[in-house]
Amino acid sequence: MSDDSGKPFVHPLEKAVGELQSIARTSQGEIDSVAKSFESLSGDTDNLLNLAATIIASVEDEKVKGVLPKVQTLGEAAKSFIEDRLHATSGILQAVTAEVGLLQQLSVVTRIQGAIALKISALSVLTKIEAARLGKMGEGFQYLACELSDFSKSLTMDTQELARHTDSRKASIQTTTWALSADLPRMQEELTRIEDLVGEDLALLNTSFQRFSSTPERFRLSVREIAGQIAGVVAAVQAYDITRQQLEHVQDALAMIAEKLSADPNSDSERSEELSQIYAGLRIQIYQLNNIKATLASWISQIRTCMAGILNVSSSEVVGISPLVLDQEREVSSRISHIEMLETESHAHSDKMRQTLAGLSSLVQLIGEHIQKSKTVLNRLHLLSLNSMIEASSLGGHADTILAIAKNIVEISAEWRENTDQSGNAMRDILKHVEQTNLLMEAFSNSRSDKLHTAQAQTRNALHSLKAAAAFAACQSEHIESANERMRTKIAQVGKTGDLLDRSFGRIDAVLDEIEMLKQQIEIGHPAATNGCDADEVEHMFSAGYTTEVEREVLRAALNGTAIPMSQQSFAGNSIELF
Amino acid sequence: MKQILTVDDSSSVRQMVSFTLRKAGYEVAEAVDGKDGLGKIGAGKFDLIITDLNMPTVDGIQLITAARKLQGYAFTPILMLTTESQAEKKDAGRKAGATGWIVKPFNGDQLVSVVQRLVK
Repeated sequence: MSDDSGKPFVHPLEKAVGELQSIARTSQGEIDSVAKSFESLSGDTDNLLNLAATIIASVEDEKVKGVLPKVQTLGEAAKSFIEDRLHATSGILQAVTAEVGLLQQLSVVTRIQGAIALKISALSVLTKIEAARLGKMGEGFQYLACELSDFSKSLTMDTQELARHTDSRKASIQTTTWALSADLPRMQEELTRIEDLVGEDLALLNTSFQRFSSTPERFRLSVREIAGQIAGVVAAVQAYDITRQQLEHVQDALAMIAEKLSADPNSDSERSEELSQIYAGLRIQIYQLNNIKATLASWISQIRTCMAGILNVSSSEVVGISPLVLDQEREVSSRISHIEMLETESHAHSDKMRQTLAGLSSLVQLIGEHIQKSKTVLNRLHLLSLNSMIEASSLGGHADTILAIAKNIVEISAEWRENTDQSGNAMRDILKHVEQTNLLMEAFSNSRSDKLHTAQAQTRNALHSLKAAAAFAACQSEHIESANERMRTKIAQVGKTGDLLDRSFGRIDAVLDEIEMLKQQIEIGHPAATNGCDADEVEHMFSAGYTTEVEREVLRAALNGTAIPMSQQSFAGNSIELF
Repeated sequence: MKQILTVDDSSSVRQMVSFTLRKAGYEVAEAVDGKDGLGKIGAGKFDLIITDLNMPTVDGIQLITAARKLQGYAFTPILMLTTESQAEKKDAGRKAGATGWIVKPFNGDQLVSVVQRLVK
């Protein structure tokens, strides 16, 4: 290279310096814009995190978490309620069926009583006839005839009344048996249905509840990840300061090289030495510019990753869970209403059975009265028969017929006693029966429903809390969606910045080409310049103004001909040393 | 509310320091270089100062030295936030009166934690 030969390269170098200054200015402007955008985005993510936290807090509220166990308890209480009634109804059906047999026995007893009443009636007629035949002697027996007649009438009336009640009772039992027989399978079906439905409800509620509790947490985690990435962008923005200084020092170095090339050397050897230094210096600047490109690429990538992360944050799942939970709440609420309806039906059902049993109790009362009357009749008959026998004996042979009648009365009296005993037995059996059915009816008492009522009330309260939490979550989800939308809009702005920064690469490449070309010119024109020079002197010359460790490492790599140190951008940021 | 001054000739760095510390509840004032910083220190009262090292006119070391002579600033925590990590620079900073040294980029959470500790 002649004394003037360096001068044609001064202009490209000056142009390169100008270009780097322009890149620095443009980049600074864009970086400031990115910083503002991410500052705002950071506020948005804080807002999202707070909103998600409020949803999580409402879900974790004890009242809301208690929904599932309450529904489970309700299901168990409903099942127990129906099972009790099913068991009781089945028992009552059996009892009512057994009652038919008891009533049958009673009918037999009543029929016998009817027959006895007829016998007494016949005896009464006979006694009248005989008394009339005996004339004056038979006057005392008229009384016997009238008594027998009265007894017969009274017995016939009572017996007929009892028979009527018994028959009526049989008819009522028939109706009840049909009704209960129809009810039982329906109740069984209802029990199975309740079991299945409540089981389904629990499973669905469990699933939606898990989603309700896990979705906001997942959302919060994803937003927290974004918050971390934004922190990385904040670090990248700071790191630009290093890159800016690096660029400035490359500009300074190129300006220095241009100055050296434009100055006249004192001698050829001085020029030769200068060219070696210039060659080394150019190689250093190439290394520095490539390092700058790598750093830019690194934090542009960080910005893009963060942007993609923000765009991927979807609030749709968060928005979707509240309607799901509200649907489930409505399902379970309608389940409670269904159970209440079953309870009402059961009360109507139990009222019917109570009426039926009341009928039995009044029958028992009637039998009791009848037995009392029978005992009275028995005593009277006994007395009559004794009187008749005494009277008949006093008349001697004239009252043989009367005597026979009196003996008949004794027999009838014995028969009546036996029949009264049978009535007593029947009544005892029926009383036992009444006791058993009363015990079974316990299952339909109000106290047995208390557990179910408590479970229903507690479930309603829990569902109310769940509904409130879901409504709250829905409201917060709307805010989350709006905040998400705002962030996406901001991201669009940042995207444009990223594109502008991308274009810097092309501009840096253009500067690199210029420097590379100059380097090649030196290689061709002055091969001796490539043989190396005093590395310490070169280092001192070009690193005097360096302010970052990165630049020093890159310079050393350039002088040693080793690879450019990898851009070790720590987006976590450096720690603080306190003195 | 505690007042903090950040001094740096890079607007993006000032912005990030302000952003980080305002989120933590501090009031943050900004100075564009060492001369501006000294002016603000003299005019106001700050509980902590964060300054860059390499700035035109008045650099970080000069700022710390001058600030320590001002009334009320003998013990005020002053952190150096810089791209420099060489031992001799840190030594110079310590001798000038710096409380701590941070190599850019800083860790936001750590910065807040240290500031909270220093301005209690």
